[in-house]
Amino acid sequence: MKQVQKIDSGILQFAPKGAFYEGASDQFKTIFDMWVNLFNYDRTLFCLISLLNGTGFSKGSIGHLLLSNPQLGKELIPKGLSVDYEAQVIKYNLWKEKTPRALKNLLMLAGKENTHSRLIDTAKYGRKRVNNSRTRKIILEYIFNRDHESLDNLAVNYKGKLKKLIRHALGNVDLHKILSGDTYLFDKWIGRYHSNAMPVLFYLFDRDLQKDVVYTHYKKIQQVRLLKKAAIEGDVKNFKKLMKGLPVLTVMGYRNLYKVPIEKEEVYTKSTMSSRQKLTSESAAKRAGADIKVNYKKQDIYDLWKVFFHKVNTQDEENLDKIFSALEFQDKKLDKIDMGETVIILDCSGSMQGSEERPLHPFLTAISIISVIENVKEVIPVGGKGISRKTSDGTQYLYPQGSTKLWKGLIKAVSSGVKNIVVISDGYENNLKGMFEHVYDALKKKGKEFDLIHINPVFSADAKMGTARKLTKDTEALPVTDYKFLETELLFNRMLENKDMVKKLLLNKYTKLIGG
Amino acid sequence: MASIFDLISFENIEADEIQNDDEMTVIPLVGPKLGDIAKPSSLIFERTTTYGSMQFLNQDKKPAIVPSHFMVRGPSAQDHAMSGSGVVIGKQSRTFNDSCCIEQSQGGYLRSQGNVHDVLPITLRKALLSKALRHEQSYQKLWPSITVWLGGLNLSKSGQAHLNFFYNDKNVKEHLEQFAAAFEPVQNQIGAIIFFGRDPVGFEIMSSHDHWMTYWKYLIRGCYGAELLRLKMLGKIAPTGFLLPELSTRMSEEKMSKTLETFTNKLTKEMVEMVGSVPILKSETVDLNGHVETKLITTDRGGGDVVLQDSKPVYVSLVL
Repeated sequence: MKQVQKIDSGILQFAPKGAFYEGASDQFKTIFDMWVNLFNYDRTLFCLISLLNGTGFSKGSIGHLLLSNPQLGKELIPKGLSVDYEAQVIKYNLWKEKTPRALKNLLMLAGKENTHSRLIDTAKYGRKRVNNSRTRKIILEYIFNRDHESLDNLAVNYKGKLKKLIRHALGNVDLHKILSGDTYLFDKWIGRYHSNAMPVLFYLFDRDLQKDVVYTHYKKIQQVRLLKKAAIEGDVKNFKKLMKGLPVLTVMGYRNLYKVPIEKEEVYTKSTMSSRQKLTSESAAKRAGADIKVNYKKQDIYDLWKVFFHKVNTQDEENLDKIFSALEFQDKKLDKIDMGETVIILDCSGSMQGSEERPLHPFLTAISIISVIENVKEVIPVGGKGISRKTSDGTQYLYPQGSTKLWKGLIKAVSSGVKNIVVISDGYENNLKGMFEHVYDALKKKGKEFDLIHINPVFSADAKMGTARKLTKDTEALPVTDYKFLETELLFNRMLENKDMVKKLLLNKYTKLIGG
Repeated sequence: MASIFDLISFENIEADEIQNDDEMTVIPLVGPKLGDIAKPSSLIFERTTTYGSMQFLNQDKKPAIVPSHFMVRGPSAQDHAMSGSGVVIGKQSRTFNDSCCIEQSQGGYLRSQGNVHDVLPITLRKALLSKALRHEQSYQKLWPSITVWLGGLNLSKSGQAHLNFFYNDKNVKEHLEQFAAAFEPVQNQIGAIIFFGRDPVGFEIMSSHDHWMTYWKYLIRGCYGAELLRLKMLGKIAPTGFLLPELSTRMSEEKMSKTLETFTNKLTKEMVEMVGSVPILKSETVDLNGHVETKLITTDRGGGDVVLQDSKPVYVSLVL
């Protein structure tokens, strides 16, 4: 009988960003082995777990592994699942992702999303181009199975990526034929999803329009074409007129490429940005003199913390009060998990700063997790450096720095008399090794009744088992690299003990999300 | 006979919480900035000009210090290491012609880009402690020691005095990163005392926290971590830990906390004193640049460099 080695939900939460003390390469190797391990153990389970919350990167990689290995015969497909359930799951995940991530995941199939090749020996780890009837359908359906307006926006915002994907899916020969007017091939691959998509293809591949093809349904494409023309001709007046309502990146791109003499400020003000883009571009826009109105209350709590610490680090006081208020709003609004009265020990040591590629990620994740835990009696920070700002009730904000005395936090937490103790830490004590466990054992022997939950926001390639470093022998570390993944983690904890139960749960989830 | 602490009378430097992971123990040293030394970012490794010559540029007006036995490994070029520390005066380049090649049969000169930096492992640093060998302009002077150092290690490549056979080995690389993980810098840290088990093996002090943050990984990973890993690979060091004080069931939580605090404070004090009392056998000037003097210190089991600015120590790097 096949055996599955230790795995945990880290395999759904991986993003190739490294950690304070590990490069992304080492991490990827570990996680790749886990994907392959679970795939070989139970392909259906491997596919269905991607319905749970996880990173876009992990889901893309799971899809890649499924699509690069032919699906088994019908007789081996579990009851309750359709023959093409793998494709259904992959498509469901793509539509759930934000567009840029979904396109990146598709580009993995084209070998163009080369995050992997930077990381690891691509030949060895199977990161290669995958092109078969399933990938072709998935790519083309994702791009073209949408209404005019949506296709119009997609084409304008992601022209380069779409070109690569379509070329990969169709191949150069069929693409050339379609662009040259082969209606049979067009209908076979694209027209079935969108019969009026030909102008979009012309736009994407920079073919001159036939006179009788007009962009009636694709106003943005038409606007971009005119904007480009104005940029080439140096027609500033027209450029300014046309950039209204177009994506900021597109406008900025033409402005920079053709050196159109208009201020960045004007581009930021007149073109459009998504709500999140506004938040992330706020500083750049401000430097350019533009005043962007950000609705902080609409932002994700993790992003808000990120902006908060960025502002603190750059000594930018503007809008900090609005951010505080938005943080409080989001903290109240988020769905909470109630484990009963809880004390949280928060590791604020230097390694919680994370990697250079993803600064502060572990710490931001940790403080966001606090917001989704109900009934928190006390948060005990350990280590860290106080920063000048304080909360409205006078609590000092901390910045991760220095070493950790986690054992002290444990003593304090147990002394509070609260039964549930959550420690959020990367698992490095930076004190005498084993002190935390020594204290834990002593308190247990003393008869103190408490349940310790160790949440580890840092993926660890050096963890002996699983993907997270442990603090005590009998407390499994739960890898949670995004505060939204707590549910996933809880399900995973049961997987090895009761595979059938988890599979049933996932089948129900499949039926609920995708249908029978 | 003078001891280390007699000779290097630092003011306001204190020992912070002891850190330990398996066989290695580190006591961070915290304190204020020392002297008036250029920021580490202003010191740039430019290139090797001939085999055995390392050139550095100091972009600042103040003097800069190249850490002792600083090592540069680069692509398609002969890797090099300094024979000791080096002082580069303000706004100048300086070429150290007594540097060592550490990659026996590789040709090519290093450039400023694309390199990996570290500090030589303890045994190789000790091999360079004689004044005569340090100043000898012989690019191959460290090869015999490197050959011995690599001997007996089961690496993916072997057979020549190539130090990068060790650092580039896949298993070695992974283990070295773990050393860096277990010993994080603390606030205001400017140095550290390093032990294998309870034996002191290193005493390092930089001019400022900024300098420590720039160079600590080269020391903990490249120098001390590399030596420890080699000893482990050769089976020459046994796992050691500290016997933590018993916490009885009758103890209150407050008492537990005090017991552990007292234990770590006492342990830290004992271990610092152990290093402080190491006798200095010899002290000789090896370099003088205006008000900046470099002394080579010899102790009973090792030694290293102390850099003084206006007669006050601003940098110490001793292998013990």
